[in-house]
Amino acid sequence: MNVKYDAIIIGAGVIGAPIAYELTKMGYKTLNVDKLPDAGEGSTSGSCAIVRAHYSTADGVAMAYEGFKYWLDWENYLDQVEDEKGLARYMNTGSILIKSDGHDWRKVKQNYDEVGVQYEEWDRETLLEKVPVADLHKFWPVRRPEDPQFFDDPTEFIEGAIFCPEGGYVNDPALSAHNIMRAAEAKGAEFKFNAEVADVRSEGGKVTGITLKDGTQIDAGIVVNVGGPHSCKINQMAEGVWEGCNIKTKALRHEVMYCPSPDDYDYLNDGYHMSDGDIGCYVRPEVGNTFLIGSEDPDCDPQEWVDPDEFYAGKGGHGRDNVLSDEQWQAQCYRLGKRIPTLQVPNQPKGVVDLYDCSDDWIPIYDKSDLPGFYMAIGTSGNQYKNAPVVGRMMAELIDNCEKGLDHDNEPFQFTFKYIGRSTNVGFFSRKREINYNSSFSVNG
Amino acid sequence: MQIYVCVKHVPDSAANITIVDNTSIDEKVAFLLNPYDEHAVTEAAVLKKQFADTEIIAVCLGRKDAEKTIRSAMAMGADRGILIEASEAPDSMTTARALKAAIDQDGTPGIILTGKESIDAEGMQTMFRIGALFDFPVVTNAVAVKAEHDRALVTYELAGGRTRTCELAMPCVVAAGRGLNTPAYPTFPDVVKARKKSIRVLALSDLVIDTSPGSSRVVALEPLVQVRNPRQINGSPREIAARIATILKEEAKVIT
Repeated sequence: MNVKYDAIIIGAGVIGAPIAYELTKMGYKTLNVDKLPDAGEGSTSGSCAIVRAHYSTADGVAMAYEGFKYWLDWENYLDQVEDEKGLARYMNTGSILIKSDGHDWRKVKQNYDEVGVQYEEWDRETLLEKVPVADLHKFWPVRRPEDPQFFDDPTEFIEGAIFCPEGGYVNDPALSAHNIMRAAEAKGAEFKFNAEVADVRSEGGKVTGITLKDGTQIDAGIVVNVGGPHSCKINQMAEGVWEGCNIKTKALRHEVMYCPSPDDYDYLNDGYHMSDGDIGCYVRPEVGNTFLIGSEDPDCDPQEWVDPDEFYAGKGGHGRDNVLSDEQWQAQCYRLGKRIPTLQVPNQPKGVVDLYDCSDDWIPIYDKSDLPGFYMAIGTSGNQYKNAPVVGRMMAELIDNCEKGLDHDNEPFQFTFKYIGRSTNVGFFSRKREINYNSSFSVNG
Repeated sequence: MQIYVCVKHVPDSAANITIVDNTSIDEKVAFLLNPYDEHAVTEAAVLKKQFADTEIIAVCLGRKDAEKTIRSAMAMGADRGILIEASEAPDSMTTARALKAAIDQDGTPGIILTGKESIDAEGMQTMFRIGALFDFPVVTNAVAVKAEHDRALVTYELAGGRTRTCELAMPCVVAAGRGLNTPAYPTFPDVVKARKKSIRVLALSDLVIDTSPGSSRVVALEPLVQVRNPRQINGSPREIAARIATILKEEAKVIT
């Protein structure tokens, strides 16, 4: 006879683990299965783990701002659980959003006002005082080094920045997922690793469980797809789920660079997280006094949609496999090199290449599906790490309400944020939505 | 003084290397300035500060896209470049003859610098062959260079970390080791300046050199399969640290 759980969660990353944690607290008997050897080892480990509030929608800002409260109170969130690997640390550097043509920063400001996010407006002088290595010329539009105009001398200056004192990053994203796993286990949740899902089974129009690659069958009346870059493959295993989604997900290759800070600048201790749409980059400090340089997906950059299994196996060739490309290394480092002219850029690329689980409009799908009992927390598009604990709670409440009879498609569940006292319409994240053109269509969300 | 720095365009060591036709690698991967040559270029820039009227010339034999490597060398301090364009990489004997011919055609070397090896072929021969062709003294794996007008004191590293210092008559050939310096990587303004520097392109076939190859040839390439046996070390932090120290001493033999 098969082992039976109340809920099986496919994936044990930074979103899968908190869903288990919250469901367990509600009394569900859960099992997370993950094809990798430990929690957070998949695309979570490649996350830049930025915690910032700027989003293009007020609900996006609200959810991120709610997330801060969890990161700031990490031990209590974990109910003081012990993790033999230690606890992840939230580094509150503060967060700079450069006022640029690359961000709709006026809308972000309105969203901050609506949600009640603390912020300051910095003029150029203040910005230079805080980031003395910066060149405040305006470099817009973002170009690639292959374009001769990339090297044109700038003539104008950026206007300034919006600064949020609350913002930063988590120093070890994989560890944060591991911490949540330990917290969930302390409440009775179970995790099974090196376990690849081969099938999502259903009977009589309702999900009944999963079958692993080795043939093991595990039963549950609830299955949650939190497969990260593999989410599209999991959805296709479940009867009618893929076809029932108006918004689909697919895996997007993404490179993040590590470049040493200029010698005379202690970026690790004195630096800020900064989103700089003027050069299409975001940066945060990393150990060894280095800049972690992410890309804000400017239109001129290629988008490589890949098969996740081929990608992780190192297949696909130059620019599509799991090795940094020299072209993108130069693009991201030289863009930052414009803003920080003393930044020394090594010849050999160093960084991380991983996948975004990206939805058609870069907004996640947090929803039920057309197969009763099957739920999804997918399409996190490189920008949901910070929201993970909030999403865990929201998904658990959504699942609980749907299982108790809520018709979420017709009467969308309203989720109340525990800390900021605002509620949000979870229908915003529906699989049935039309593409949301208010989205930034980028990692900015 | 003219300082010639011989640089090589090599595959990125982090690339997924695949072997094709049994004797070569699939070259559709990122190529960059050979890391040991970065030390050579950096040292050239240091010497330039010491000697007035010094010019640094980066010389590279490679495909057309090796221009990228010369631009990297120029961003790190070379004043101009010479690309000897060849569709296929010749052996170290022909390479040395070509580099000598290109340097002879261009000027008079006060010192020739290069890396102690290339990270692709790892032949460690070209510097000696250049020295023999010019009849210059050669030192490899240099970790310190003190140059005067007619002589250079060069410290080089031997196996086991021992060092020895020798005096060479100038001009000489010095092959840089990792301990020589910390590469001075370019800033964006350096990259912009390097774009404006000139590169003279010569065709290998246009150089008047003996093209008879050496007697060695590559018969087969095999990928090095690294077998990893991860082990979990348990215990208190003190016990784990002690166990790691023992492994580093007795198994890896990297500390004593």
